[in-house]
Amino acid sequence: MSTEPGFVTIERARYRYGADGPAIVDGIDWQIPRGEIHCLIGRSGSGKTTLLKLAAGLLLPNEGAIRIGGGALAGPSPHAGFVFQSPTLLDWLSALDNVLLPVSLKRRTTATDREAALDLLARVGLRDFATRRPGELSGGQQSRVAVARALIGNPDLLLLDEPFAALDALTREELQDDLLRLCALNGTTALFVTHDITEAVYLADKVAVMAAGRLAHARRIELPRPRHRDMRYAPSFAAACRELRDAMDGEAAISERPAA
Amino acid sequence: MSARLPSLLLFAALLVGWEAWCRLGGLSPLVLPAPSSVLATLWSEITTGRLWPHLAVTAAEMALGLGIGTVVGIGTGILLTEAPALGRLLHPYVLASQLVPKLALGPLFIIWFGFGMTPTVVITALICFFPLMENTLTGLTEIDPARRELFRMLGASRLQTLLRLKLPAALPVIMAGLRVAVVLALVGAVVGEFIGGRIGLGASIIAAQSVMDSSLIFALFVVITALGMLLYEAVRALERRVLHRFSKG
Repeated sequence: MSTEPGFVTIERARYRYGADGPAIVDGIDWQIPRGEIHCLIGRSGSGKTTLLKLAAGLLLPNEGAIRIGGGALAGPSPHAGFVFQSPTLLDWLSALDNVLLPVSLKRRTTATDREAALDLLARVGLRDFATRRPGELSGGQQSRVAVARALIGNPDLLLLDEPFAALDALTREELQDDLLRLCALNGTTALFVTHDITEAVYLADKVAVMAAGRLAHARRIELPRPRHRDMRYAPSFAAACRELRDAMDGEAAISERPAA
Repeated sequence: MSARLPSLLLFAALLVGWEAWCRLGGLSPLVLPAPSSVLATLWSEITTGRLWPHLAVTAAEMALGLGIGTVVGIGTGILLTEAPALGRLLHPYVLASQLVPKLALGPLFIIWFGFGMTPTVVITALICFFPLMENTLTGLTEIDPARRELFRMLGASRLQTLLRLKLPAALPVIMAGLRVAVVLALVGAVVGEFIGGRIGLGASIIAAQSVMDSSLIFALFVVITALGMLLYEAVRALERRVLHRFSKG
């Protein structure tokens, strides 16, 4: 585990639905230094999304604490942007107004805000689509708008819950590059949940494997930055993927083994 | 136009068949007047000006009843959704109140409000209230949970979530309720006049029945149908306009 001071610190976080339910997140300790991208991988039901919602402040832990920049979370964090599994755009707003939504909920938007939103749309290749509504955009374009919306207030922390899972492989790779570029631009810290091991290795400074609500395995990814597509074919990339896959298989074998 | 041609041709064929049956079948005009006779009566009602005050009263009752029922129905739907405890407390009573046949309340409303427009407007509003309340309730409770979490994450207030997420997302369902309510409003206004009206299209039908004027009754059916279609189309136009603004684009 990292010895650097954590910008995001998860301290012995435990969460269960209902008083007597099983722990979905079971005593997790984790730190994310400022500016790093960490990925959580694991099978469905392993507790990844619940941990992400705890980090966002959408859920509060039954035990332990989540700290962002030293302050314990008591509700949704104003310093965090969240990208959901589906783009969750508002169908009746244009792409530009969707990106501006976080600002317009706080105050009247200004010309500067509009410029910032258009700039973000340009950075994800959608400058010419600003007036289009979500129904007129492809799935990949909608995901790009959702990422731009999460970044409009320059959040210190970006939380992403399998945002590219529904997209084809090529579009997913393009969006991964967009995300890395945007995070590098402002030094944004990110916690990214995914099922896809190669996506995790390509994006992350550190990858953790979750199983049964616990962190079963973690490793740093020593690929240089900026990342580029050729790295996906490097032996070190394949080795990292193999190790994480073995960790996931090992955890699955343990969880399927009959009790002694 | 070409899409509507078959239904127009069918309508013309039905009219011709009806006319032939009346002329050749020896049917009494008291039982079934010929379309030519109905049209002549309708034309006479229009040109003499006798129709207009009745039409105006029924249209006003419909509009007032629909307007009041819409505002109260949407307002109640919002209240029951936004205050779940109140919803659980009141929803069974609201439902029970709607299961009472509103038209059976007509005599009671005449005692309470007297003769004239008021009891008919109240009956119409009560009939229109339910589809709008129920559709608002359904629309507001079926909002995508991820979008609700998004608004929570963005620190939106309850009012902002209602006005900027829930109501726009629920509009297609609410507008469907309004379409149903328009049709029911016409039923409410006409039948309300049967019970306690002195003026209006429903009251005119009762007056025509008392003098066995079947042609006038049919002529009034035509006017009522035209009024209903006009209002329905107006609501469809409003719906298209609203949904274009708030739809998927």
